[in-house]
Formats: sequence, C-alpha cells, structure tokens
Amino acid sequence: MIEMRYPTVSRRTAPLGWGSMMVVAGAIALSLAAGAAMLAAHGKAPLTGIWLLFYGGFGSGWALEDSLLKAIPIFLCSLGVGLAFRLQVWNIGAEGQFALGAVGAAWPALTFPQLPAILLIPAMMAAAMIAGGLWGMIPGLLKTRLQVNEIIITLMLNYIGILLLDYLCYGPWKDPVSFGFPMSPTFSPHAVVGTIGSSRIHWGLFFCIGFGVAMWIFLRFTRLGYELRASGENPLAAHYAGLPYRRLVVMVMVVGGGLAGCAGFLEASANINRLQPSIMVGYGYTAIIVAWLARLNPLQIAVAAYLLAGLRVGVENLQLDLQVPAAFGGIVEGLILLSVLAGGFFNHYRLRFRSRS
Amino acid sequence: MKKIFFWMACAVLTVFVAGAGAEEMKVGFVYVSPVGDAGWSYAHDQGRLSVEALDGVSTSFVESVPEGPDSERIIRNMARKGFDLIFATSYGYMDSMAKVAKEFPGTIFMHCSGFKTAQNMGNYFGRMYQARFLAGMTAGAMSRSNTLGYVAAFPIPEVIRGINAFTLGARAVNPEATVRVVWTKTWYDPATEKEAAKSLLDVGADVIAQHQDSPSPQEAAQERGAYSVGYNSDMSAFAPKAHLTASIWNWGPFYVRTVEQVRSGTWESGSWWPGLKEGLVDLAPFGPMVPENLKTLVLERKSRIENGQAPVFSGPIADQKGNLRIAEGETPSDEALLGMTWFVKGVIGSTQ
Amino acid sequence: MTADFFLSLLAATVQSGTPILFATLGEIITERSGVLNLGVEGIMMIGALAGFLVARETGQPATGFFIGGVCGALLASIHGGICLGLQGNQVVSGLALTILGFSLAEYLGTPFIGQTAPGFFAVPVPLLSRIPWVGPVFFRQDLLVYLSYLLPPILWWLLSHTSWGLSLRAVGENPDAAKAAGLSVAGYRWAGIGLGGFFVGLGGAYLSLAYTHLWTNNLSAGRGWIAVALVIFAFWRPMRAVAGAYLFGGVMAFQLRLQAMGTNLPSSLLLMLPYVLTVLVLVLSMRGKKRGEAPAALGINFEPLD
Repeated sequence: MIEMRYPTVSRRTAPLGWGSMMVVAGAIALSLAAGAAMLAAHGKAPLTGIWLLFYGGFGSGWALEDSLLKAIPIFLCSLGVGLAFRLQVWNIGAEGQFALGAVGAAWPALTFPQLPAILLIPAMMAAAMIAGGLWGMIPGLLKTRLQVNEIIITLMLNYIGILLLDYLCYGPWKDPVSFGFPMSPTFSPHAVVGTIGSSRIHWGLFFCIGFGVAMWIFLRFTRLGYELRASGENPLAAHYAGLPYRRLVVMVMVVGGGLAGCAGFLEASANINRLQPSIMVGYGYTAIIVAWLARLNPLQIAVAAYLLAGLRVGVENLQLDLQVPAAFGGIVEGLILLSVLAGGFFNHYRLRFRSRS
Repeated sequence: MKKIFFWMACAVLTVFVAGAGAEEMKVGFVYVSPVGDAGWSYAHDQGRLSVEALDGVSTSFVESVPEGPDSERIIRNMARKGFDLIFATSYGYMDSMAKVAKEFPGTIFMHCSGFKTAQNMGNYFGRMYQARFLAGMTAGAMSRSNTLGYVAAFPIPEVIRGINAFTLGARAVNPEATVRVVWTKTWYDPATEKEAAKSLLDVGADVIAQHQDSPSPQEAAQERGAYSVGYNSDMSAFAPKAHLTASIWNWGPFYVRTVEQVRSGTWESGSWWPGLKEGLVDLAPFGPMVPENLKTLVLERKSRIENGQAPVFSGPIADQKGNLRIAEGETPSDEALLGMTWFVKGVIGSTQ
Repeated sequence: MTADFFLSLLAATVQSGTPILFATLGEIITERSGVLNLGVEGIMMIGALAGFLVARETGQPATGFFIGGVCGALLASIHGGICLGLQGNQVVSGLALTILGFSLAEYLGTPFIGQTAPGFFAVPVPLLSRIPWVGPVFFRQDLLVYLSYLLPPILWWLLSHTSWGLSLRAVGENPDAAKAAGLSVAGYRWAGIGLGGFFVGLGGAYLSLAYTHLWTNNLSAGRGWIAVALVIFAFWRPMRAVAGAYLFGGVMAFQLRLQAMGTNLPSSLLLMLPYVLTVLVLVLSMRGKKRGEAPAALGINFEPLD
C-alpha cells in the first residue's frame, strides 16, 4: 500500500539564523538560473552572462565603488520610508520628497554661490531636509487631521513634486548660458560635496552611516522609539495606552521626508552639480522595496540597498558585453525579488511531511 | 553533467573570442530609450549598424540609460573597457560625458545635441530644422483650415527650433497658417500623445506634426481624416492615408565618417552640425495625396537650402508678439540657433 | 469655447478615463478582499501585450481583449502565490510584479513595435447617440466603453447585495471572524486577486486594442499607479470609481486642450492639474468623514495555521 504523505505547516519557534542566509542564496540562485535559461534562449552564453552580471556589480574595485555610490540615495530614502512603515504609515512619497530635497538644496546654492563651503553645504542640507520634511508633513497632517489616506496623497505629491522641479528647471532657474536646456546653472565649487580621498565616493557616505546609526539608537534606546515600535505593532492598543499616535505619524513623515530630501541634496550636489529634471530616476520607489526586504531594520536596509544597487549596476555590464536588451535586467530583478519573498516563507514556517493515518 | 561542460565551453569560447578581437577598434553607443522604439534611438542604432559593417570595427550599445549619474557610470565603464570612441545620444548625457572625458584623455567622446566640447570630446547634431521647414511647407499648402497642430515633447531649443522652422515653412506657402503647440512632457507615452493630437484636431487643426518618438499622433490624424507629418523615420506605415511626409534622420554616413577619422588619427575636436546637404536629415517620400506641383515646389526649395542660397532662418523674422528678432537680410549664427527659446510669429503656445 | 469643444472634451474624458476605470475596478475587488496589489502597472502592460498579440494572431479583437484579462489574472496569481501561499510581503510582491510585468512586456513585445492589430472603433448606438449632449459624449464610443458602463453597477451589486460579495468583504475586514464563521479566507482572497487581475488586464488590453491600435512599449505610462490612487479616492466603491476615473481623464484631456487653444501657461504647471485636483477633491470629500473606509485588514497577511 502506498503511504499517503501530506505537508503540514507550522510556525517556527526559533529564528532560522544562518539558515535564512541559505534560503536567500538559494532563492537568488534559482532566479539567476531562470535568467540564465533566458540568456540561453536568446542565444547567449548563460554562464558568461551570470559571471558578467556578478563581475559588473561586485567583482572589482570599480564595481564596488559604483554600487556603493548608487546605494547611497536608495539607503537614505529607504531609511525614511522604513521608519514610516514601522508605524504602519504607508509613505510611498519618497520620490517626491527626494525631488523637493533637490529643489531645497539648489535654492541656497543658486542664491548664495559665494558663501564659503562651511556655511553653504550645511545651508543646502538644511534647506533640503526642511523642504523634503515639509513635503512629507502634508500627507502626515492630512492623515491625522482629516483621515485622508496617505497612499494616494504621497503618490500624487510625487507627481506634483517632480513637476515642480521641472517647472523650476524649464523656467525661473534655467541657466542663461545652457542654450535653453532645462538645467540650473552649475553649482559653485563651494556647493559641491566632495569625494573621499582619491575614490569617487563622496562624503555623503558618512551621512548615511550617521543617519543609520542614529536611527538604530533611536529605535532601540529611546522612549519615543519604543513608543513608535509599540504603536506600529498595535495602533489601537497604543491609542488606549495613551501613546501620542498622531504626533508620531506626523513625526515619521517629516523625518522620512527629511531623509529623502537629504538624498536629493547629495545627488544634486555631489553627483550632478546642478539641478536638472534627469535627477529623478525612481530611487524613491526602489526604496520601498528595499525597506520591506530588509524588514525595516537599518543595518539590513544598508545591505539590501547595496545588493540591489549592485544588481542594477551589474545588469549594465551584462548589457554592454552581451548586448541583451535592457528589459532583461528588469525581468531578472523582478524574479529575484519574488523568489526572495517566496523563500522568506521558510524563515518563519516549517514544512513537514506527515503520513496520513 | 554533459550540458554543464557544454555551457562552460561556451563561456570560455566567448571570453576567448572577445579577447581575440582586442585589436579591433571598439565603438560604443549610449541610448536613452530601447532601440526597438522605432524612434530616436532606433534611428541612431541604424547608424550604428553601418559602423558595425565596417571591417575591423566592433560596436556595442547600452539602451534605456537614464540621464544623470547612471549615464556617467555607463560612459565611464565603456571608457574603462577600452572603447576607442563613444557616442552618447541624448542631451542629458552632456555633463556626464564631459566629466568622464577629463578622466580618459585617450578616448574620443562624441556627444549628440549638446554644446560642450573638450580636447577629446566633440559634439554633433543634425540640422533637422531644415527638413522641418520643408515638411512645414507641405503641411501649410495641404491645410484647408490654416491651422496646423504640433504635438511636442519638451520645451527645449531643439524642439522649439523645429517648431519655428516648421511654422516658417508653412507660412512661406500659406501666410494665413498658424501652428498650435501642445507639450506632453513625454518622449514616449503613446496614449497621451494620441490624446494631445486629438485635442489639436478638436481646435480645428487639419494637419498634425510631431516631435515625439511614438507614432500615435499619426494614427489620431488618420482616424479623423486629417493629414499628418511624421518624424524620425518614414511613418507612412502607421497612417498611409494621412502621412504627407516625414522629417527623418540618417546617421549612418556621419558615424562611419567619424569612425574613419578616429581610426586614421585625423579626428580633431569640434562641433558638427550637418544637415540636408550632407544627407544627415532628409524628407521621407511624399504620400500619394501630395500634388505634383507642391512636390516640385518643396524639392526646389530643398535644393536651394542645400546649396546655401535660401537658409531656413533669414530675416526679417518676428517673434510671437511681433517684435523683430532677426533683422532684414540677417541670418542667425549657429549659437543663436542652438539657444533658440522663443517662438516665431504664427506659433500659438508657450515656450515653457 | 463652443458647445462642440465641450462635447469633444467630454467624449475624450470618457475614453481616456475608461482604461483607468477598468484597472481601478479590478484593484477595488482585490483590495476589498484584504489584499493590496501594487502590481497594477505591470499587470496592465501584460494585459496590453497579450490582448494585442492574440488579436493580431486571431484577427478577433474580442478574443484578444478577453485573453488580455486572463493573462492579467495569471500574472496576478503570482502575487497570490507569494502572499497567500507563502506569506510574503504584499508591498514588495506587488512592486516586484510591476517591475517584472513591465520588463516582460517590453522584452516580449519589442519585435512587434509599430505593428497594428484589429481593434475596437467607435460604434454609435442607434437612437441613444442622437440625444443632444448625452449622445455625442457617451454613445458614440467603442464597444468596450459601453461594457465599462455596465461594470460598476454590476460590481456594486455583487459587492453589496450578494452573499459572495459580502463574504469577500468580510474576509477583507476581519479575516479571523470570517474564518470563525466558516468562510475560506484564502479562497476568497484568491478570487479577489484573480478577478481583480482580470479587470486590470482588461484595462491594459483596452489601451492596445481601442485607445491606440498598435503596439509600442510603455503603453500604460503610469496609468496603473493612477488606478491605485483612485481606488482610495473612490473609497473602495465601484460607483465612485467612475467619478474618479472620469475626473482624472477629464482634467488630463482638458489641460491638453487648454494648451491647444493657446493659453500661455507653463506646461509643467498645467500637467500638475490632474494630480492637484485629485488631492483637493479627495480632501474636500473627506470633510466630516470618520475614516477613508479602507478594508480593515488591507495589506495584512492572514496565517491559515491551526
């Protein structure tokens, strides 16, 4: 007689620990295998392709630098939205807050170009974080005062913020010597965040470390951080316990906006050296993926931001050397995300096969 | 197991082949959109294919590259990988390319549609406005309502210059003609661009011209029984009943010539702005509805633009408000054309 | 501004609102069951491509339209597998689906760019199309627009007056109670995801088969995201979704016409109009309300453990 076996699912009592790394690795390997199969179907050498992908993102000093540079804005935006998600506030507005940050940073840079860097850079950063913070505050206030859902407001404010940046670049802030192209004048050297030593990494990296550590300390060791975590786990109970839920909502939106704004400042100052519409490449949306993949933990956000940035940089290398279409990179990224998510199941649940009696 | 060995062999072979070609000249192209878009990047890729056909030259491209820091990284990686000549084909790549050019003095950089140059970085573009003028003549003569519609992407000089040339052409044959402009702020959003064309048809336009990469404005014109003027490449396949003509790109000869110059060491930095005469821009074949006498008129003007007798922009030219911007008998310098941010008389729309 | 101008503006409003309406209705069903699917944009792209390819191969636009919906449901079922089967995070899964769907459509669709397929064209309804004002605006459209008139009332009826619909909503409001009452939470949520994906796919297929009749990349161009926003605007109610979709489509069509008429306003500011108005109308309509009426369990996975 054939024994019937059927699966049962139970929640793991202890975390999977190192095993979870194996699960993630397995998930990535699976999706890369799918990508390799696609390459083979395309008539390209699959193993070379996977190697080029890895090499381009992580395989050399240059690649590591490139990925780190790209990870910086993603990390900052992600840190901000992650804080809001802790409170179950669905802030998907990092994109617009990033735009406002870039606009905010550009204002002092264009108005007071002669200020010494020691004054100008902090002024730009403050203006960027205030502008981004205010842009985040709007949905926060609307949510707490008028019960307006934050998803729709943050999404709409993204479009409005980007168009505002557009308007400034095409209109009032257009560089008179750019032959009419939509870009602000180049920032003076005083307004540019420099690079560290001979590398191409700019000092924004230290801002990331600083903000990341501050966030960790805040969540872990401060009363407000504790209240925030408690409110996020159970808003209703927090309300009865007298926790200031409304003020917390506005606070996480302002802080999240400020961090995204800071990312906008770094991109404008260190990488582009002026304000132009092409500064917007969707980091605000990528940040949402990163925040959730990292389970909202600051350290894990750093790792996830770096890996995702590396993947995107690596895909370019694959494109250049194997001449696969750009869409191939998107497919691989989508597959990796989905399979990592699917693999997460095994971190929390145990699958057993029992025989039916 | 056998399969794995097979693929590994493939991998080794690829690396080997790539290595063997090291003495070839390597030419890289950076595109802003997918090459399959049938528009701007497609036209450049057709040019790349003529370079690829040369002996001893290999080409590579990266598509859908966002302007900004991403483009800087990609251009730098090309330079690092030993590409001898790199073409970047969107104006937003200008700053990135200028930065990388400083770091790699041994590589030649060519930027399309900008204005910066360096010792090892040149820029190039085509005098598309010449072809636009001829398309404008055709549209102006074919219009019954004297209202022409222009679906335009972004208010940058390249597009504004094209609208001005189109308007001048239309008014050269039809002084009553006006051109209405709608900005979509997209290069490639087929549904919005079609809607923009329809909004122009609704206000009485009976010829639709476009500066967009998607062919959907053509389709809108055909559905309403109006005429259309295409861009980038011959778009008659999309709207055979409406398509009068199109102003088109032909990058191949220019790319081949630049590659030959770099290879023979005769390349020197500069700004190239070829037009109808060199064949970089052209007019697509006329549709069957265009009468013979109009064709003759347009082609006659074409040859006079080519031999320099009748430049497109020659005074007197007034702006939208009627102020004289280019005096009688004057022709603007290339710098003035490159930085054109005002509309000529006869255009209805905003330049922002 | 003549009467003709207004009529053509309103007719354009209906047409540009229709694809957004299909997608919004789909997402309403999904979210009503308690599942947040942010993959609308990707599902629309796949629906658009599948609809186009099938119509092109078979020569039957109706078949294409239907298959567009089916493929939308198939892509959405990945979301179901991840979130319902494997308890994966709904936000990441949806966003990953957007990336995947968008890239897959571009990858598979590139060889067909610029090719045309048989599609839907305007078919005036006899008699109705002759009614002054109403006729030219609502009854000189294509068949799919007429279909879109029927859907909101049907879905409203389904969600408010059938036991299936009430159970679906119960699952979205309080899955624990629903389970205690003997309902299959996973079953209803699968239905919500599948049916929702089907309608979102139809919205995509509308773009390639009726709005434009040719295939190009980036056909949805952000309309999926607008649908996600409009679900909230509509307070998760099918009938209000009509108002949202037409408001958005109408303002977009209006700002293009403002430009065509020659108002000398900067285009960036005009393009802001639809977004600003959506926010304003939502905020005004929230006055005096307690909450946005979101399904209480939206976005939260339900563990089917014993």
